[in-house]
Amino acid sequence: MKKQLIIIPSILFLLILLTFFYLLIIERNPSEIPSNLIEKNVPKFEAESLINSKKFISHDEFGNEIILVNFFATWCKPCIEEHIYIQRFADEEKIRVIGINYKDNPKKTIKWLNKLGNPYSNVLLDKNGRIAIDWGVYGIPETYVVNSKGIIKYKHIGPITEKIYKKINSLTKEIK
Amino acid sequence: MAPSLGNFLLWLSLFFATFQFFASRKKNNLKLKFITIAVGGLLISSLLAFFLLIYVHVVSDFSVLNVFQNSHTTKPLLYKISGVWGNHEGSMLLWIIVLTIFNYFIFKLYNKKNFSFISKTLETQAFIIIGFVLFTILTSNPFERIIPEQNDGLGFNPILQDPALAIHPPLLYIGYVGFSAAFSISIATLNFNNNEKIPWYNYMKPFVMAAWTFLTIGIALGSVWAYYELGWGGWWFWDPVENASLMPWLLGTALLHSLIIVEKRKSLQSWVLLLSILAFLLSVLGTFLVRSGILTSVHTFALDPSRGLYILIFTALLGGYSLILYGTKSKKYFNNDFFSFLSKEGSILINNILMVIVCATVFLGTVYPLLIEAFTNNKISVGEPYYNSTVIPILIPAILVMGIGPLLAWKKEDKSKIFKKIFPSILLTGIMTILIFSIYRSYTLIGIVGIILSFWIISNNLIILIRKNKKYSIGMIIAHLGVGFLILGITGSSVWQEERITRMKFSEETKIKEHKIVFEKIDEIKGANYIALQGNFLVYDENGNIFTKLKPENRFYPVTSNFTTEASIHTNLFRDLYIVLGEGNLNEGWVVRIYYNPLVVWIWIGALVIFLGGLVSINANVKKLKILEQ
Repeated sequence: MKKQLIIIPSILFLLILLTFFYLLIIERNPSEIPSNLIEKNVPKFEAESLINSKKFISHDEFGNEIILVNFFATWCKPCIEEHIYIQRFADEEKIRVIGINYKDNPKKTIKWLNKLGNPYSNVLLDKNGRIAIDWGVYGIPETYVVNSKGIIKYKHIGPITEKIYKKINSLTKEIK
Repeated sequence: MAPSLGNFLLWLSLFFATFQFFASRKKNNLKLKFITIAVGGLLISSLLAFFLLIYVHVVSDFSVLNVFQNSHTTKPLLYKISGVWGNHEGSMLLWIIVLTIFNYFIFKLYNKKNFSFISKTLETQAFIIIGFVLFTILTSNPFERIIPEQNDGLGFNPILQDPALAIHPPLLYIGYVGFSAAFSISIATLNFNNNEKIPWYNYMKPFVMAAWTFLTIGIALGSVWAYYELGWGGWWFWDPVENASLMPWLLGTALLHSLIIVEKRKSLQSWVLLLSILAFLLSVLGTFLVRSGILTSVHTFALDPSRGLYILIFTALLGGYSLILYGTKSKKYFNNDFFSFLSKEGSILINNILMVIVCATVFLGTVYPLLIEAFTNNKISVGEPYYNSTVIPILIPAILVMGIGPLLAWKKEDKSKIFKKIFPSILLTGIMTILIFSIYRSYTLIGIVGIILSFWIISNNLIILIRKNKKYSIGMIIAHLGVGFLILGITGSSVWQEERITRMKFSEETKIKEHKIVFEKIDEIKGANYIALQGNFLVYDENGNIFTKLKPENRFYPVTSNFTTEASIHTNLFRDLYIVLGEGNLNEGWVVRIYYNPLVVWIWIGALVIFLGGLVSINANVKKLKILEQ
C-alpha cells in the first residue's frame, strides 16, 4: 500500500511534465484565439509611408491581389529571425508584402532595412500603435494573409518559421 | 562596462555555487573553510550583480538590453528600481539572490554535531543555485548588451507601475524560494541515517515559517494590485499565475502545521518530508508555468521556447531525484501512530488532508486546460465557477476545524470538556453574526456560512488572546485571528457586492446602496510620465451631505502608448466605494462603473495580521533553535 502511494504521485508528476514537454515542442501559441477579423474585410486606415511621401490609403490598395501584412519593428528580435521568410515570400513566391512598422523610429528602420534587405512593397509607419489596435495585434511580429477581395484569411502571431512559411504558401496557392 | 562586469559577476556566482557543491561533497580537513569561502563568495557576488542591475536601471544605462526594453528616462525612480524585477531576466536574478540568502542562513546552522548533515543540505542548495544561475546566464541574461547603445528606452508597462507591485515580487520570491531550504533539508534528511538524532524538523521550521509568512503577504499584495490597478472591482481572478502562487501556499500551510506535530510527537515525519519536497517542486513548476509562456498570458510574444524547456528539464531533474529518493529512503521515517480524532494533532491532520485536497483541486483546474489541449487539441478555459464549486465546500470544514483545533488538548481531549471550552466562542459568534446581518440584511446560504465561520475563528482566538493563556503560541493566535478577518472580507466582498454600469453626463446622478453619486466634471491632468482625464464624482451620504469626492483617472502613457484606468476608491471598515471611468466623450457622456464592495478592507487587514503573526512565530522559532543549539 505504502509503496503504491509513492509510485502514483511520481507517475502523475512524470505524466504532467511529459505533457508540458509536448506542449512546449509543438508549435502552438497559447494566446492564439481565433481572430475576430478572419473572413472580414481589412480595417480601413490611412498611414504615412516610410520611403515615399505619398499617403497610403487602405481601400485603394487592398482587394486587387493577395497581400501579406506584416507588423514589425527594429527593436523586436524575433522580427530579425523571420525576416528571411518575409524576403522569400517577396522574392520566391512573388507575393506583395506590406510592412507595418510598429512603434519605431523611421531612421532606425531605414538602417535596418538597408542592412537586412527590404522585402516590403510599402512600409507604413504606425508610430503610436493605432493601426495595430484596429488589426487586433497582440504583440509583434504578426502576419496577416489578405485575399484578392480584401478579406483577411489567416493570422499568425509570432515569428514565421519554416513550418508557418509552408503553411502560408499552401494557403495562398489555395486562395488564388 | 556594466554589461561585462555584470556577466563576470554572474559567472563568478556560478563558480562559487559549483565550488560549494563539490566542497560540501568531499571529505576534507579544509572542508569548512572551503564552504565558508564558497557561501560568502556566492552571497557577495550575486548581491553585487543584483545591485549592479539596479544601478544600471537607475542611471538608465541604455547599453544594456534589459534597461532599454524595460525602462525610460522619464520613469519615476521607484519604478526604475522595481522595473529591475518587473521583467523576466531581472526577476530571475532576484530568485538567485533570495536563494543565496537562504543558502547563507542554512550555512549559519552549522555546529559540531550537525556538520555532515548541514553539508549535505548545502550540497542540494548549491545544486539548485547552479541550476538557476545557469538558466539565467544561458537563456535570460539581464546584462545582455545592445549594440549600438540607445538614447532612450522603450518604457515599462504602465500597468505594472504601482507601489504594491513594486514590492510584490521580492516578498513572493522569499516565499517561493524559502521552500528551497525546506527541500534541501528534506533531501539531506532522506540521505542521512540520522543516528546522531539531528533535529532536522527544528531546522526546517523557521524556513517554512518564513516562506509561508512572506508568501502570504506577497500573494495579498498581488491581490491589492489587481484590485486597485486592473479596475475590475475584484481582487482574485483564479488566473493561472495567481494559482501558481496559491498552490505552494496551500501545501506550505499543511507543512507548517505538520511540523508542529513532528516537533511534539515525532509522528508524521515521512509526511513532512514529502510535503516539503512537493511545496518546492510546485514553486518551481509555478515558475515554469509563468515563465515558459505555456499558458495564455499577455506576455507571450517574443518568447524564447528554450527557457521553458530548460526549467522543465530542471524541474524533472529535481522532481525525479527527490521523489525517487523519497520512495526508496523514506521507510525509516514511517510510523503507524494512531491519532484520536478529538485532539490537537487529530485536528491538524484533518486540516492537512483538506489543504492537500484543495491544492490538488487548484492544480487540476490549472493544468486541465493544458492536458485537454495536448490530447484533444481543443481549447477550453477553467474559471471561477469551477473553483467556487470545488474549493469552497472543502474549505468550510477546514475552517470549522481550524476554530476548534487550537483549543483541544494533545493526545486525547476529554469529550465532556469540549462544550465548556467552546461555549464562550459560540456565544460570541452568535452575537456578532446577528449584529452584522442587522447591518447588511442580505441572506444567502453561502453568505451566512461564511460570516459564521469567520466570526467563529475570530471569537475563538480573541477569547484566547483576552485570557492571556500562556499555553498557546502568540504568533499562531495572531495569525489565526488574521485568517478570521480574511474570511470576513472575502465573504462580505463576494456575497454582498453591488455593481452599477451606466453612461453618465456632467451633473447627472446615480444611486448605489445608500449613496447618491453625482458626476461633476472632467479635468485634464499631467503626471510624471503620463497625461490623464480625471473624472470628478461627488458622493453624498444618506442625509444628503457630500462626504467625499472620488477622482478616477484614464491615463495615457506616451512612451509605451498604453492606456490604463486608475480606480478611485473610498474605503472604510464597512465597505469600499469603487469608481472606474470608462470610454466616453462630452456629447454622449462617459461609461462609469461603480462598485459597492462590503468589507474588502478586512482582506488586507487579515493578510497583514497573518503576516505579523508569522513574523512573531519566525522570531519564536529562531529563538527556540538557538536555545536548542546551546
